[in-house]
Amino acid sequence: MNKSWQLVFCGLLSVLLALTYLLFDSGLDTEFILPNRLVKLLAMLTGGIAIACSTLCFQTITENRILTPAIMGYESVYLLWQALLVLLFGLNSPLLQDLQLNFVCSTLVLLGYSLLLQRWLFSRSLQDVWQMLWYGLVFSLVGSSLTQFFQYSSSPAEFSLLSQYSLASFQRAELNQTLFSALLTLLVASFIWRQRHQLDLLQLGALQAATLGVNRALLLRRQLALIAILVAISTSLLGPTAFFGILIANLSATFSRSQSHRHRLPLAALCAVLLFLLAQLLVEHLFNFKTSVGLLLQLCCGGYFFMFLIKHRQTS
Amino acid sequence: MISVQGLTKRYGNRQVLQDLNVDFASGKLTALIGPNGAGKSSLLMCLARLLTADSGQILLSGQDIQAFSLPDYAKQVATLCQFQALQLQLKVGELVAFGRFPHSQGRLQRSDHLAIAQALDLLGLTPLQNAVLHELSGGQRQLAFMAMVVAQQTPYLLLDEPLNNLDLKHAVQLMQVLCHLRDQQQKTVIVVLHDLNMAANYADQVVAMQQGCIRHAGDVGQVMTATTLSELYQLPIQVLHTELGRFCHYFNQPEKLYAC
Amino acid sequence: MLKYLGLGAIFCLLCLASLLLGAKQFSLAQLWQSDPVAWLTLTSSRLPRLMALLLTGAGLAVCGVLMQQMLQNRFADPGTTGAIDAAKLGILLAMVLLPGAAVTVIMLVALLCCLASCLFFILLINKLQLRHRQLLPILGLMYGSVLSAIAELYAYQQQLLQSMQGLLLGDFSKVIAGQYELIYLILPLVLCSYWFAHHFTLLGMGQQLAGSLGLRYQQLVWLGLLLVATMVASSLMTVGAIPFVGLVIPQLVARHCGDHLAQSLPKIALSGAAFLISCDLLSRLLLYPYEIPIGLTASCVGALLLLSFLRTPA
Repeated sequence: MNKSWQLVFCGLLSVLLALTYLLFDSGLDTEFILPNRLVKLLAMLTGGIAIACSTLCFQTITENRILTPAIMGYESVYLLWQALLVLLFGLNSPLLQDLQLNFVCSTLVLLGYSLLLQRWLFSRSLQDVWQMLWYGLVFSLVGSSLTQFFQYSSSPAEFSLLSQYSLASFQRAELNQTLFSALLTLLVASFIWRQRHQLDLLQLGALQAATLGVNRALLLRRQLALIAILVAISTSLLGPTAFFGILIANLSATFSRSQSHRHRLPLAALCAVLLFLLAQLLVEHLFNFKTSVGLLLQLCCGGYFFMFLIKHRQTS
Repeated sequence: MISVQGLTKRYGNRQVLQDLNVDFASGKLTALIGPNGAGKSSLLMCLARLLTADSGQILLSGQDIQAFSLPDYAKQVATLCQFQALQLQLKVGELVAFGRFPHSQGRLQRSDHLAIAQALDLLGLTPLQNAVLHELSGGQRQLAFMAMVVAQQTPYLLLDEPLNNLDLKHAVQLMQVLCHLRDQQQKTVIVVLHDLNMAANYADQVVAMQQGCIRHAGDVGQVMTATTLSELYQLPIQVLHTELGRFCHYFNQPEKLYAC
Repeated sequence: MLKYLGLGAIFCLLCLASLLLGAKQFSLAQLWQSDPVAWLTLTSSRLPRLMALLLTGAGLAVCGVLMQQMLQNRFADPGTTGAIDAAKLGILLAMVLLPGAAVTVIMLVALLCCLASCLFFILLINKLQLRHRQLLPILGLMYGSVLSAIAELYAYQQQLLQSMQGLLLGDFSKVIAGQYELIYLILPLVLCSYWFAHHFTLLGMGQQLAGSLGLRYQQLVWLGLLLVATMVASSLMTVGAIPFVGLVIPQLVARHCGDHLAQSLPKIALSGAAFLISCDLLSRLLLYPYEIPIGLTASCVGALLLLSFLRTPA
């Protein structure tokens, strides 16, 4: 299918599913149901774009199709920070109650983590991508142990707040936070969009890209900062989406006719939104809320990933 | 002209470049030759600003190369690195278009499209411009990369062992393109070559390196003689002159090299 | 020879320290005088704790090396292949579906879940024939997180989530005489692994090579899985989940002693035990008299060790 037709098709499908989600079984109730669903829809759009952009860019700058910000420990750091806040300041502190403030300091923490990562992505050659993976995995594992410990030693009220953070769901989104996140995501996405040509050039490898005038150090620093902001947005809005990023990145790579970011970024964003809408529709109408979106997504990602590997395995 | 002054580089306790002083003449094709570990690629990487030397300086038309900004340098010097085989899902046309990045930052104007078309035409790749890279043969892929570097339209071209893994026809084709660029567009070309015969027949100037030092630098006729080459490569080499050009003969050695 | 004596002395010192340290202080003098309180502390809390530490450490380290041999991959261990998560799910299922069941029954259910999950994972990995070895822990973690998510969702619905987390967080302060005997199962299993050390080493070289040397591949894998599942289930039930032990210890020992299990297995077991005892001492000393759960200490120390030898190539 032609590149532009693909985007148009996905776009139309998303609009269709979005309308279904909004209007189906709502009784056209403009007082409560429709506004509620609109907010959730906005959250899905914002989260989808944020995850797609952050994962795709991360894979480009690490020149690898397996790593994602989630695997590199970003989400663990976020969850750990929330648990630490609860432990140190208690539930009633403004750092937890005021969502904007919480978002700002979580983003700062993630930016700090990015700086650390960048120092290290830089001092080693990218051949050590697997080493990086190990570092990321280890941080994630330690992070989840620490988080479990904090959760265990917190009061039931604190625990229920923290456990909300650890499961992905669209139910938490509330209007102000979603609007703010949406605007910020658009801003960040537009910065990334402006750098799409430089990202394309990174495919040739760091050395060759440098001979064409791409300042890799600067590019990496900027991209990692933008990725940190996007991860903060998606995790605070939707919760940890873990391996969903790999699913989106690889799906869009499989279906995309071209490697250029001009096509892959919008396609990935649309795929993410489509999958979110599908998952939410299934949970609401097929499973009647007996399961959670997070679980459904994880099952799909796991299943897709295994099928992907089976299809591309070495035939010996 | 590129002028190298007092260039030194070491990795750990290995001295890769030892106080190099050499000039690369403008509008000429210079071949860098020498055995493995001589430092040819390291010198080229320093010229390309992909490697920072420990001391010394390199002057491009009288100006220190470190004074250029990265985008400006990319408009002066184009480098073809030794490319690692990656799964590139790029079309030939898209790859060549990358060469215009220093000039247009990705937004292609008419002048860029013209440059791309000219580069494809020069390398004979116009019928292949929509082919995907990993479906081409190794030789065609290298020519595509060559086209990218040509499209960059810089006065200086640096190439690191561009003939590796090329069959005879594509290798000759590439050398002919380099000579064309030197003659018709007055470009300064510096190539690292392993193949002595390619250097002997296509280069104007030759710089011979050994263990981080420059042993000989000058006209091809002066440098590529039996004595200098034999000493450089530690192997008896004869240089024969035929009506088609020079031929370096080092086959059928009387002495065994594999056993003591 | 001297090196072994020295290491042995350090090991004994660690054990002694573990026996003597704790919230309730007593001295050797008191023991000598047959002080009843001191003896009670020793026999009902300290000694069981030491035994649990020794056996869990040895057991988890041996599980790690067995999984690495079965999957022919250095990054396999119960934590990165979903075994611990499957056992967790088993415990939860048993607690909900068979309320009031005996501890051994719960352990049996956990064991069966763990066995089924590991078998599935091994079959999957063999079918996938991964080009990059390092992909295995990612797949394992993905698989484990799916199992974990199912368990968490189920627990959440049954209002059991926080207590489940508490139950399964590695913590040796739960170990009291009368409630920990299940852990003694590990001893015969470790001895059994040692008996088959030679076989397991060959297993690690791949199905084809093993087969051509006359090894019964399938039976051996079944045996290995049974050993691993039992050790994981019993340690999970007695003390909870402790990450990194199976991953870090075999690598450390392999660097010094090579990959032949007949030589390295005893060292792996003892190193695992020593590692856990040291972590336990650390958890008890850092915030004296409060205790940090060992899962946390082992994660941090294990992570540091793992990172430090990722930096130095083999």
